[in-house]
Amino acid sequence: MKTLAMLLALAAASPAAAQTLAVTHAEAWTMETGDPVKDATILIENGKIVSVTPGGGVPQGATVIDARGKPVTPGLMNAATQVGLVEVNSASATRDVGSADDRNPGFDPARALNGNSTLVDLIRADGITRALVYPAQSRHPVFAGEPVIARYRDGVDILESREAAVFAVIGGGAWDRLGSRAQQWTVLRKALTDAKIAVAARDAGEKDKKDRLGPPSGRGRRAGEDLIRGVLAGEMPLAIQTNRESDILQATQLAADFSIRVVIVEGAEAWRVADRLAAAKIPVVLDPSVNLPGSFDELGARQDNAAILTRAGVPVAFGLAGGKIHQTYNAGMALREGAGLAVANGLPYIEALRAVTVNPQTIWGKAGGGTLAAGADADLVVWDGDPLEPSTSAVSVIIEGRQASTRSRQDVLAERYRDAR
Amino acid sequence: MAKNMALGSGLAAITLLAAPVPGTAQQAAAPARADPFPSNYRTPRPDDMLLRNATILDGAGGRIEGGDVLVRGGKIVATGKALANPGVREVDAKGRWITPGVIDVHTHNGTFVVPLTDIDRESSDVAETSSPNGADTWIETAVNPQDMGFDRGLMNGVTTMQILPGSTPIFAGRSVVVKPVRGATVWDMKVTGGAQGFKMACGENPKSWGGDKDNDGPNSRQGVIAYMRQAFLDAQAYGRDRAAGKAGRDLKKEALLGIMAGDIRVNLHCYRANDIASVLAVAKEFGFKIGAIHHATEAYKIPGLLRASGTCAAVWADWWGFKMEAQDAVRAGAPMLERAGVCVMMHSDSAADGQRLNITAAKAAAAGRRIGIETPPEVMIKWTTSNPAKLLGLESRVGTLKPGYQADLVLWSGNPFSIYTKADLVLIDGAVAWDRSKPPGAPVSDFELGRKGAQ
Repeated sequence: MKTLAMLLALAAASPAAAQTLAVTHAEAWTMETGDPVKDATILIENGKIVSVTPGGGVPQGATVIDARGKPVTPGLMNAATQVGLVEVNSASATRDVGSADDRNPGFDPARALNGNSTLVDLIRADGITRALVYPAQSRHPVFAGEPVIARYRDGVDILESREAAVFAVIGGGAWDRLGSRAQQWTVLRKALTDAKIAVAARDAGEKDKKDRLGPPSGRGRRAGEDLIRGVLAGEMPLAIQTNRESDILQATQLAADFSIRVVIVEGAEAWRVADRLAAAKIPVVLDPSVNLPGSFDELGARQDNAAILTRAGVPVAFGLAGGKIHQTYNAGMALREGAGLAVANGLPYIEALRAVTVNPQTIWGKAGGGTLAAGADADLVVWDGDPLEPSTSAVSVIIEGRQASTRSRQDVLAERYRDAR
Repeated sequence: MAKNMALGSGLAAITLLAAPVPGTAQQAAAPARADPFPSNYRTPRPDDMLLRNATILDGAGGRIEGGDVLVRGGKIVATGKALANPGVREVDAKGRWITPGVIDVHTHNGTFVVPLTDIDRESSDVAETSSPNGADTWIETAVNPQDMGFDRGLMNGVTTMQILPGSTPIFAGRSVVVKPVRGATVWDMKVTGGAQGFKMACGENPKSWGGDKDNDGPNSRQGVIAYMRQAFLDAQAYGRDRAAGKAGRDLKKEALLGIMAGDIRVNLHCYRANDIASVLAVAKEFGFKIGAIHHATEAYKIPGLLRASGTCAAVWADWWGFKMEAQDAVRAGAPMLERAGVCVMMHSDSAADGQRLNITAAKAAAAGRRIGIETPPEVMIKWTTSNPAKLLGLESRVGTLKPGYQADLVLWSGNPFSIYTKADLVLIDGAVAWDRSKPPGAPVSDFELGRKGAQ
């Protein structure tokens, strides 16, 4: 149907990439205020937003996308998925989600990212332009590795940045080799303590021998526990995937004891300690749709988790949305559906939009990202309706100021069999 | 031969219930109809009411704007505009929508019970997997009614669920249909009067089981199909021996005879077009009809085949990709099948997704729109109400808002295909099963009682 139009639009847009792109008649959710700018003209140049102006004019020669009064939002960000690291879950040769190397505590999934994945085409078609791509559990408890930021532009290279965090997993039965979660916390604390001692020793004058400790934090490519020095230096957060109230409090205590930034991932029972998290300025990346406890750690799972946390002042972003198959295979659709569910369960609409735009970018290291402010990255989506309704589709997805493909393998198959009788 | 047995089995059933001894050819098929686990479901005390001025989707393709529904004595009495009130409670439904209660034909509630623990990993109740043939099992003997999945479903407008055994065995056994009401046993929830359901599976799941060196079963697609045919042939031979007084009871073979006699309806777990076609051929060979292909991610490639065999497709909107046989799923499957004249319905296979089957329908319809197939709400609602009722053999009782039907219905806060909409009021058999406006709020399973849970 719209395929031909899309291709033509793409053909038109590509050579004009360095030129001006104008989205007209947009209901522009700039995320700078709580309300959209009506009938906005959004001007884009060199991959950046130039302006958002009500009824604004279009410069000569600009490529125009008419939004027809429909919503335009910043490109959405999934705050925790594995799109780009896996093709077919049951085909291990296509799964690059985790390290099986028990000699090395670190795992940097950046070199495995695959922009040619059919999952990338689908997540982009669903209006998601960025994600935190997190590693699966390693063989080196309690660490999984270092998540990366993917930007789902066309083409094979979807890596935006590395080392967005150090990712740890703690919970009931999470690590066979450690047993009790008490031991899991001990291992995490020991890693932080060892790193702290090492850094202190270096700073205490062993400057000649500092090579022995590897490059100083912030430079070079380090891995695993070594990267924890970056956490201690405040360069990146420690992401802890955990659910139970007692573990979330442990994480809060850990953050205070080591003066580090912590992000709770999953956090099914985070709502129970919303005030404590707010006071400690610990954000939560959560699945807004979960209301059934997959494990005893999640007994408190409820769909107003995000509403309660947000009301208390905890920054919330959505990820892992839909659980099971959806958190990867429908990481775009499930993210929007989950955000809609959060609204249905008391989260103000604009906060739900923030939880899939501004908040994930801020939490994972790009403060100021996820808006349509002048100078912001020109990643935006023109929708055919409310983006939080699962029945809404992305009409145009613009990434780095270019119109990107919104055609997935599913579209191609459906078109082939469209007239099967 | 199968046809003859079907004709005779009705008369023989009573005799056989009383005296399960070898008998005539007609009698041999009858045990399949007998129910060793009778329902103890009690019709609730009715809450008569007149719901006023709603958008009504009747489940069968009809739509009334500003319409009323009169519910009395557990039944739908009338739908229409400006109905006279015979003196019952009135509910102002202006701006809200009314549909039949949602029917999910594929859950594992009560057997895949969260929170999952070690015992579920070692020996799950989802299916009996000691053999590829579990035709003798009845899933209801495993169902834990304290699964909070039932409550979550009810609160989201689900009024009927079919609990199926899992897809590891080729013949996985009998299903049970329940209402998501609180009871100490599954029989307090059990729905009778429909078709006795049964689960079969093809493709990757059963062949993977056979592929495990510790297991004795077929390990290829062709092996699975051959196993099915041989099992039906053996059941036929058994039926003859039984008729001749040369064989005693055999629960597995009785079930397969019941399938061939049309007394037991098959729900087939199958993904690929080729797999679906293979099993449809087996069904044809042995003279029975398959009720629905579940998952059916490639059904959209072969609508004619499903139409010709009178078989429905029970699909997701958007599960895809996680294994090889699920590669070609498309979100537009349901609208493509609908347009081709195939009976299609949404199903969940998940206590989480089962809470939002109408949203699943909305996703599918939206994907249809992307390729130029429009599906209006009054048709979409068939996918979660009257079509699943048909599969369960309950199409003259539930799934449609028509006079005389059981009053299983939902008053939604808005358009049921919107993510923001909630089930305000859920009636089962004309009684309030869930009222969002009234404390104490959500129904609580015994499991949740006294724990620091979500409530």
